[in-house]
Amino acid sequence: MRRDHMKSILPRGPITLLGNLSETRYWVYLLLFPSLVLLLLVVAYPTLYGFVISVREMRLTRPGLNGWVGMKHYVAMMSDRVFWISLKNTAIWVTAAIAIEVTLGFVAAVALNRNLPGTKLFGVLILLPYFLPNVVAGHMWALLLDPRLGVINDLLVGIGILSTYKAWFADPATALAATILVEAWHGFPFFALLFLAGLKGIPEDLYKAAAVDGAGPVRQFRLITVPMLKTVIAAAVILRVISLVNSPDLLLVLTGGGPGNATQVLSLYAFQTAYREFNFGYAGALSVVMFILLMLFATIYIRLTRVTKE
Amino acid sequence: MATLSISGIRKSYGALDVLHGIDVDLEDGGFLVLLGPSGCGKSTLLNIIAGLDEPSAGDIAIAGRSVTALPPKDRNIAMVFQSYALYPTMSVERNIGFGLEMRGVPEQERKAEIRKAAEMLQIGHLLDRLPANLSGGQRQRVAMGRAIVRNPDLFLFDEPLSNLDAKLRVEMRTEIKRLHERLGTSIVYVTHDQIEAMTLATKVAVMKGGYVQQLADPRTIYERPANMFVAGFIGSPAMNFIRGKLLSDADGTRFTSEGVLVALSGPGIANGTRECVFGVRPEELKVVETEDAFLEGVIDVVEPTGPDTMVTAIIGNQAVIARAEPRFKGRRGDQIRFKVDPSSINLFDAETEVRIDTGDGPPVRIASV
Amino acid sequence: MLKTSRSRRLAGDILTYAVLTTLTTFCLGPILWMFLTSLKTEADIVTSHMQYIPRTVTFQNYVAIWTQSNFPVLIANSLVVTTITVVICVLTGTLAAYAFARLPFKGRDKIMLGYLLVRMFPAVMVIIPLYVMMRTVGLVDSRFGLALAYTSFLLPLFAWMLKGFFDAAPKELESAARIDGSTRLGAMVRIVLPLARNGLVASSVFIAIAAWNEFIFALMLTTGQGSRTWPVGLQLMVGEFQLPWGVLAAGGILSILPVVVLFAIVQRAMVQGLTAGAIKG
Repeated sequence: MRRDHMKSILPRGPITLLGNLSETRYWVYLLLFPSLVLLLLVVAYPTLYGFVISVREMRLTRPGLNGWVGMKHYVAMMSDRVFWISLKNTAIWVTAAIAIEVTLGFVAAVALNRNLPGTKLFGVLILLPYFLPNVVAGHMWALLLDPRLGVINDLLVGIGILSTYKAWFADPATALAATILVEAWHGFPFFALLFLAGLKGIPEDLYKAAAVDGAGPVRQFRLITVPMLKTVIAAAVILRVISLVNSPDLLLVLTGGGPGNATQVLSLYAFQTAYREFNFGYAGALSVVMFILLMLFATIYIRLTRVTKE
Repeated sequence: MATLSISGIRKSYGALDVLHGIDVDLEDGGFLVLLGPSGCGKSTLLNIIAGLDEPSAGDIAIAGRSVTALPPKDRNIAMVFQSYALYPTMSVERNIGFGLEMRGVPEQERKAEIRKAAEMLQIGHLLDRLPANLSGGQRQRVAMGRAIVRNPDLFLFDEPLSNLDAKLRVEMRTEIKRLHERLGTSIVYVTHDQIEAMTLATKVAVMKGGYVQQLADPRTIYERPANMFVAGFIGSPAMNFIRGKLLSDADGTRFTSEGVLVALSGPGIANGTRECVFGVRPEELKVVETEDAFLEGVIDVVEPTGPDTMVTAIIGNQAVIARAEPRFKGRRGDQIRFKVDPSSINLFDAETEVRIDTGDGPPVRIASV
Repeated sequence: MLKTSRSRRLAGDILTYAVLTTLTTFCLGPILWMFLTSLKTEADIVTSHMQYIPRTVTFQNYVAIWTQSNFPVLIANSLVVTTITVVICVLTGTLAAYAFARLPFKGRDKIMLGYLLVRMFPAVMVIIPLYVMMRTVGLVDSRFGLALAYTSFLLPLFAWMLKGFFDAAPKELESAARIDGSTRLGAMVRIVLPLARNGLVASSVFIAIAAWNEFIFALMLTTGQGSRTWPVGLQLMVGEFQLPWGVLAAGGILSILPVVVLFAIVQRAMVQGLTAGAIKG
């Protein structure tokens, strides 16, 4: 035994060397090193650089224009009508989409949690939209809501809700609502998934105890289900807010911000400023403002939800 | 030669001190039980011995060589875990032989060792199975086989019986004792079960709050606990404590409390009055009918358990439990009187809770009243 | 009494199925309609009277998108980018996840939180500097460059998700292996990775799907044929050629096919990892 053990500490090759290194305190840093370097390179540095860009003039279309402009972009933003519209639309879009998604997600989770035969299959099917690409989701709904060929128009006319086909995305009055519908379709499975996991974590005994104590379904729901799910709801909502505020994909595909600026949101505005006009300075400033607002929201939100928990 | 010597081991996680300088030696072939409530630091100490955790200070030596700087694989130890930690993807045979495989023992030799260990533990017929297809007791045996086959300098057991049901636990406890006597290898064994400590150990370290409260053989721990924590932790039901006064004057020494008057004589008690706690185990309280009893009270609860009857009595306003004979006839509300075996009592300082030590024998001798 | 509670339960069951059927229709209806559209002839799509079931089933749309556009090139590019992304994330993220799950070190919580906070950064905020940086080093319009950009948000996600799976593998097994003679590295490779195999697959599939679907980074960072992925290509086709609905639908179906297949295979493990990661975060 002793002889074998002596043998094993003699270095025999790179693998053995690495193995011995893994027993030292440097191992953890070695493990973290590759991912940390990569993230510093593709996240931390670009982020800092992003702040720098926002106080510079940078237009790829006009290479001559280059240099420090200080707060110019931020000042310009204050009197930029589109910025304020985008801000308002972002708030509406995110709030409405999340309200619908939470409701649908909750209904789906409660139904799936009844564990009737077949609910597993339903669960898988309901989850599918969440994994579909925004580009396909966007065009799919554009087809469904098409003013001439849309099947939804046909159905609504068929049951008498509409008298004629409607151009949902072209009408400023309905464009935002239509995009919210698409977003809800895409996002509610995420909530269903998390809520279902939360519901499964509630001990059955709690409901039994409440039933013995004489609480009906409504009171059980209010006194057990909702409080027990509070953390899950809070976490799910903040994650969704972040991803909704940050990603312009769906609106870019569906409306491109139009008609007019009826569906223009901050992330899309910033992206288009960079992508179409190559005005990187102003786009950078827009995204910095967006980031700060998001951070502000997250901090307040986390503080509030913590307080209510304790 | 000491198989294991632990000296000055400290462990802190940031500002939190988990172990405050532990010193323990274990003789060759000894069975050391680390006993204590959860959070006392016993598992941390075991992990430090194994090399799975690093001490903040101090030294561990196994079989005469310092292993503090060595990784677990080079310490020549074997360990049995609470969850058994059987590799779920490997057969029982490969599980048992994995340590040998890692050390480059040739297959033929390995097979022979595995067979030998498996037969010793009566699991020879299970070698082809996967851990998932074993019962709790069988998994426990495989985990022990994996340790035995290595023929290490030291076995480590981390609460190995706590996942078994009561009946199996007793069975496996006997098995471990038999194994220890057969192999003669030193063992360090962590548990919170005082019966396991009493039955298995040659040496018990009772731990609390990162300190060793007492390090001694089981008999001493049971009969002469170093302080009230040890006294209360060992034994079921626990030792009875009666608060009162120790008086010493021209008339002699006596312990008094409401309903208690025990005349004592012996060295080590200074003149004067001292607040103290009188400790007596339930089986040492003898029910007597005579007038010359030391303790007098009223029966509160009577609980027959079969071999004996547990009687809870209220003396003054303090409750004591006595182990009475199975045919005990008293009822709630009856008067009850006890005598005490003079060699069996312990006195503790009321403030420090440390045993009042008066030499080797009983702390004080009880004079006839 | 018994009767009413039984009938109440029956009513509840019926309501449950009604709700689930409605939601499933809402979720799958659009996909089904796109599928039907992809099988229709142009005449069945552009009609004055809505044609629900195709009168003649045709695969002409699929043939068209595959042969008359650069769709195969787009798909190939997406495959390459997705593969590189997954490889980078698995190589570096597995190590990080293992460190997070197993090795206590100073500042671990802070670094882990940092990995999570990356999600808060607006894509646009990272895209602009990344574009400038990548142009400087010649990585714009490169599949490797795009994959590298994807790791900015997928690597932290991967590490967090996998950490949950590592957490679920009992620590004592690793301790046992180390006492049995393995190094930490040996225990990780021989014991922990095989145990977390499902998690590794699920996390990889999750980021593979995300990389496959990604649109915004790709739109900004790819400019030509060499690296353009299918979401960008499809979107541009719509704009440039007035792509017929049937052909677009066929392209959509083709591009979500791998997603649906992968999702179907590993959905259970993926759901588990997703919920664990999200709830802890």
